[in-house]
Amino acid sequence: MPRRPSLQLPSALDNPPRSAKVTIVNPEKIQAALADITAENDPTLKHLKLASLVSAVFREHGVELVVVGGSAIEFYTEGAYVSGDLDLCVDDKGNRPSARLRQELMGALGAKGGPRSWQVGGLYVDLLGNLENLAQTSMRRIKAQYGEIRICPVEELMVERILSSHYPNDFPSDLECAKKILAAALMDEVEVDWTEVRRLAESPAYNNWNRVKELTDEEATTLQIRSPYDSER
Amino acid sequence: MPWEDWLKGRRARRETGNRVAPEIIRRTSSSSDKRLRKLFNGERGLPFKKTEEL
Repeated sequence: MPRRPSLQLPSALDNPPRSAKVTIVNPEKIQAALADITAENDPTLKHLKLASLVSAVFREHGVELVVVGGSAIEFYTEGAYVSGDLDLCVDDKGNRPSARLRQELMGALGAKGGPRSWQVGGLYVDLLGNLENLAQTSMRRIKAQYGEIRICPVEELMVERILSSHYPNDFPSDLECAKKILAAALMDEVEVDWTEVRRLAESPAYNNWNRVKELTDEEATTLQIRSPYDSER
Repeated sequence: MPWEDWLKGRRARRETGNRVAPEIIRRTSSSSDKRLRKLFNGERGLPFKKTEEL
């Protein structure tokens, strides 16, 4: 039986030189892409297609966007979690877009609103500012229809979502989310650096290692597999 | 990763998640409720594909 494709850590081949610009962005192709995105009724595909188009348009101006939040969780888990908001952040390795540039670029897509939230293609796009990312693992990347999409590292998403599921108060919907991320990771649907998960969880920014280990072990038991932290018991 | 490879894994990922949590875990409310429910006819987003349709 062929092995299921795992969402892997990127190799050097997945990192094209910065000069390799996307060239799809012209008005005709934008209109065709928007028609496709607007007609798309699968919420997960709609989010990723729109992320691909918006990322391509910003990339042509030296701005790298990163998919975060529910759309990133959906990418890793297919968890039926995402709503009608596409959350994006600016990667600080690229340029920082001014409000005017944001309006210009989103305007080229026919978006309404701004300067941080727009309606376009049947979704809301929220540009949440600079990416908060402490993970030392790389962005995951997917070569989508309209340009490469960069996704927040799963290690950061996992530790962050486990924190919000129990601190400062229990939050059941985030716990379900955290469990789905853990399950995808434990079942090798997505490649995870478990050492990095632990490092992040032990860092002062999260300080939730005990809960991360506990939940990882619990989910491994549910899935009847060995926890990556088993030897530490 | 190529788009096609990601697509191929969708059903398996959904099935794995279904082993540890309900199939649909979309939040029932958020600060974006008003605008979302207006855009999606009272819902917070488009309906999800069923697992068997992935």
